[in-house]
Amino acid sequence: MTVSLTIEKLSAHYGQTQVLKDLSISVAAGELVSLLGSSGCGKTTTLRIVAGFLQPTSGHVKLGDRDLTTLPAHARDIGLVFQNYALFPHLTVQDNVAFGLKQRGVSSADRAKRATAMLERVGLANLADRLPGALSGGQKQRVALARALVIEPPLLMFDEPLSNLDAKLRVDMRVEIRQLQKANGTTSLYVTHDQEEAFSISDRVAIMNAGRIMQLDTPEVLYQKPANAFVARFVGFENLIPMKTVARDGAIVTAEAAGGAKLHLSQDVFGPIADDFVLATRPDGLVVRSQGEGIPTTLGTRTYLGRAYQYKCETAAGEITANGALSELFEPGASAVLVPVPEQCCILSPEN
Amino acid sequence: MNKFAKWGLTLPATILVVALLVVPVLATIATTFGEPKGIFSTYTAFFNSGFRTGILYRTLRIALITTAISLVIGFLTAYVIAQMPGRLKSIAIIAAVFPLLTGVVVRSFAWLIILGKNGIVNSSLLSLGIISDPLSMLYTEGSVIVAMVYLFVPLMILTLTGVLEGIPRDVVEASASLGAKPIATFFQVILPLAVPGLIVGAVLVFTGSFTSYATPQLLGGEQMMMMGTLLYQRAMVTFDWVGASTIAAIMVVITIAVVSIMSRIARRLNPMAV
Repeated sequence: MTVSLTIEKLSAHYGQTQVLKDLSISVAAGELVSLLGSSGCGKTTTLRIVAGFLQPTSGHVKLGDRDLTTLPAHARDIGLVFQNYALFPHLTVQDNVAFGLKQRGVSSADRAKRATAMLERVGLANLADRLPGALSGGQKQRVALARALVIEPPLLMFDEPLSNLDAKLRVDMRVEIRQLQKANGTTSLYVTHDQEEAFSISDRVAIMNAGRIMQLDTPEVLYQKPANAFVARFVGFENLIPMKTVARDGAIVTAEAAGGAKLHLSQDVFGPIADDFVLATRPDGLVVRSQGEGIPTTLGTRTYLGRAYQYKCETAAGEITANGALSELFEPGASAVLVPVPEQCCILSPEN
Repeated sequence: MNKFAKWGLTLPATILVVALLVVPVLATIATTFGEPKGIFSTYTAFFNSGFRTGILYRTLRIALITTAISLVIGFLTAYVIAQMPGRLKSIAIIAAVFPLLTGVVVRSFAWLIILGKNGIVNSSLLSLGIISDPLSMLYTEGSVIVAMVYLFVPLMILTLTGVLEGIPRDVVEASASLGAKPIATFFQVILPLAVPGLIVGAVLVFTGSFTSYATPQLLGGEQMMMMGTLLYQRAMVTFDWVGASTIAAIMVVITIAVVSIMSRIARRLNPMAV
């Protein structure tokens, strides 16, 4: 049974502070959508509202055609995986996993069978009689996952499930979570502040800021075509250069940055270009040359990244970070030009 | 920290406890086995006396009832306090503990005034016309239990508030998310996790009420004599030191037995509890 999750115009307040502003998301049946953002952006609040631990000031949460908004948490039938595992410390691994089945009135023989089968799937059948206190972090999170999956919920939610694990285990666990989620086809909502984690595990990612969704898209689109300056910065477009169109010749737009540097940009590559816009690039999207068309600069601090040299560059349009090729070494203080690589840049509307 | 430092730091306390508690208690108990009529003669004498066993059973009954009532009242109060926001919580805890600032005798004496023939309870019931003659509430088991619950509930509240506050919010939320109704979460998660606190509280209240002296003396009188009073009479009125030691030994054994039964029940409910 796979159903979609619809969050409609959700608003929430803590006291006077509005933490969610008309937030809407829909997660298709079987899809995994991540809420990604720094702390305080409202991602955990959203999850807690969907789980039923918080009441929204307005808006609705629907699972399929069932409106959950006013249902108590225990009646929502949602599998939840917590950051701190939240295992029952007084129950064995087996009883932790069987807990949800017990609440559903499943007979004790059936409970044992299903809990054992689920523990086998997460590779912990041999630890069934242990208490959670005797498990490692990764094992605890597997138990938590098994406990949430065994009730076969129509919706699974993850609240930063990997942030207490070490780096290697984090990667292994996210692959495992993704495999289990796909195999079961369970609609999922995943909250994290880790960009790599969100991008690697999700069908779509919602980047959040200050209680709003800045962009909801596939990881590929977010990474290559951010829709606004916030998302661009978030995914690593460190350089946002404000530009003005000064001439148009067919598809070619001539634009000028502060200080008079001119660039020719093709609308065939970037799509329609407005009169005022922002050119966004990652440090890798700029080539450092000794001369030619580009943004003139005086090179500052140089750091070695292994695959490139990174320069802090002083320009009339502000400080820009660029990665120069290993083959051509520039000394700090040298004059150079920064040439944007069109395929690695994007055009954004100016920030207000 | 090296081994010597560990021993050195605990040495003063160890010497005090061994010299002033362990040795005298063992010496006291040893005297009860030295009677010419046989090793266990003082114990057979105790258990052959209906009067004395009656007092033992009464004491046990009063202590267990006091413990049970204190557990329920203390748990409910602590549960409410644990949910309170910070400032209100501090005020509530101070209010709960406030009675502990006055002495046991003063607090027991207060109940003499409340429950007496001309006490507040009787005079209000009389003036409301509910009764025509004053009730005799003093010198009953009930009056002793009421006073002891009042004496010991603050300890229970204090112990349980700490334990209930320590139950992580996400564990309770996990229970709800898995479909447990509030009542199921209470019995399957909150209560078992509170067991360590329930045990500490129950042991404090049981030992306190089982060995109490002033309260039963004031509110129970001669009719409702308890072990503490009996022991005092043996030692200080009839100067029967061996008899008093026997009573003391029996009380120690029963206390240990009850505490270990409680721990066993606790382990059943929560395998992590000691």
